[in-house]
Amino acid sequence: MQPSAAFAHALNDSIGVLPLWSWAAVTAALVLFLLALPFAGFATFIERRVAAFFQDRLGPNRVGPEGILQFPADAVKMLAKEDFIPAGADRFLFNLAPLLVVVGALSAFAVLPLGRALIGADLNIGVVYVLAVTTLIPPGILLGSWASQNKWSLLGGLRAAAQIVSYEIAVALALVPPILVSGSLQVSTIVDAQGWAWGAENAANYHFWNLFYNPFTFVSAFVFFIAGLAETNRIPFDLPEAESELVSGFNTEFSGMRFGLYALGEFGDVFVMCAMFTALYLGGWQVPFVNLETFWIALPALVIALIHLTMFMAKTLSLVFIVMWLRWTLPRLRVDQLMGLCWKGLVPIALFNVVGTAIWMWVFHGQSLPQLLAKAFSG
Amino acid sequence: MTVGLKIVLAAAQILTVLSAVAVTFHPNILYASIALFFAFCGVAVMFVYAGADFLAGAQLIVYAGGVTILVLFAIMLTQWLYKSKLRDIRMRVVAPLALIAPALTYGLCVALRGLGDHVLKTTPANFEAFSSAPKTMPIGQALLTNYLLPFEAITILLLSALVGGVWLARPK
Repeated sequence: MQPSAAFAHALNDSIGVLPLWSWAAVTAALVLFLLALPFAGFATFIERRVAAFFQDRLGPNRVGPEGILQFPADAVKMLAKEDFIPAGADRFLFNLAPLLVVVGALSAFAVLPLGRALIGADLNIGVVYVLAVTTLIPPGILLGSWASQNKWSLLGGLRAAAQIVSYEIAVALALVPPILVSGSLQVSTIVDAQGWAWGAENAANYHFWNLFYNPFTFVSAFVFFIAGLAETNRIPFDLPEAESELVSGFNTEFSGMRFGLYALGEFGDVFVMCAMFTALYLGGWQVPFVNLETFWIALPALVIALIHLTMFMAKTLSLVFIVMWLRWTLPRLRVDQLMGLCWKGLVPIALFNVVGTAIWMWVFHGQSLPQLLAKAFSG
Repeated sequence: MTVGLKIVLAAAQILTVLSAVAVTFHPNILYASIALFFAFCGVAVMFVYAGADFLAGAQLIVYAGGVTILVLFAIMLTQWLYKSKLRDIRMRVVAPLALIAPALTYGLCVALRGLGDHVLKTTPANFEAFSSAPKTMPIGQALLTNYLLPFEAITILLLSALVGGVWLARPK
């Protein structure tokens, strides 16, 4: 018996023995401690260093080498803070709201394709699942802002809910072209279809990154990125927080670990957005122009998994860096500009892309622009 | 189904029913709408157990995400609405309705079962295998072949609702 098969067998046996909740708890703990917390913590550190770089100063550099231990120190500080609830606040909702935001952002990690062998749950409705669980976030923000009994909070929360619900439509429409192209909602199938490689025998079955599939998906990718920025409340769409007008918006009254949970939810959401962009438009774990399965030397499964993970994280973290870069480059939009951009700009463009991609697939029998070009040049 | 999965299903059902009761009887309209949110989530879990994974996603997106936010908006933007007490009226209206609710639920279940059999032509013999099979493609094909006319009729209805909403909200 193969070692991996034996392991899977043992795992199967033990799943039957141990109760389900223990596995659910283990999975949740793994997602939290291996993926979400390190990413969120490290992202805050990198964000501060990037901000410092753009503003020509040093940023955190005292705790540990190059300030790398700043985020564990911040986490300890947040945990040690007084657990404070304002006197007029609605206690039940005040406690519930940050949890909804975190659950919404972290549940989406289950379907992120870190590698072909590294998907938590390869659901056949993967893309819809991500959209579905992230809808827990706007109620969480809105309830938290209302429960604070603070005018700034409530204004920020109402802005957040209106913004997220509006841009969710643009995000969902911008997700449709890659789904049309791959004919599947399953994230692994969408990534697999983007595995075009030099000299592959069955090249007709694959196409290159969905970003370059045709002009419509190229535009659609940018629509998705802009709308995703707005959905995660990042600058230039950070009106719900808007520290110069609303103090800190919906999280004004939250301190200590409750604020930490909001921050974790926001960074988790940014990661999910960038990871979905990578999976749907940038080929996910695929190495450009190389097919690892038909490589000239046979690679062990562990090496392939590591290469997949490295590729995926490199693409995703580059996008996260672009998100931070934009934060220190662009000014904040006004509310009317924000809604105008969504309803008069992104939604019509996204609809046009959906129809355009469908017509393209009908006219060219599902072949991508790179495939057509390759065919034209090879005669 | 293993015991663990049954416990999760039971928890979802209890959550749904308790939330529904809270929606009906909670005196604070804001809490009632939050209970509605949890009822929607519980129903989504039950859709997953029934093998309707796509429907579960749609339930969360449209109801838990969209409708809840709309209700919360309406409550928060209407002055003093969330401080009004609605208990008396509800008790008078709801109590008689509660008597006929079981009969209505049974009738609805039978009707839905018949509709499901009609859509799928046959009742699948192996429900376990059927419930884990992907449903997205059959749904899409059904909507664009046998059920194209109802589908288009609904889109026209929704479009007219949208136009009506814009017309009502136009600047005078």
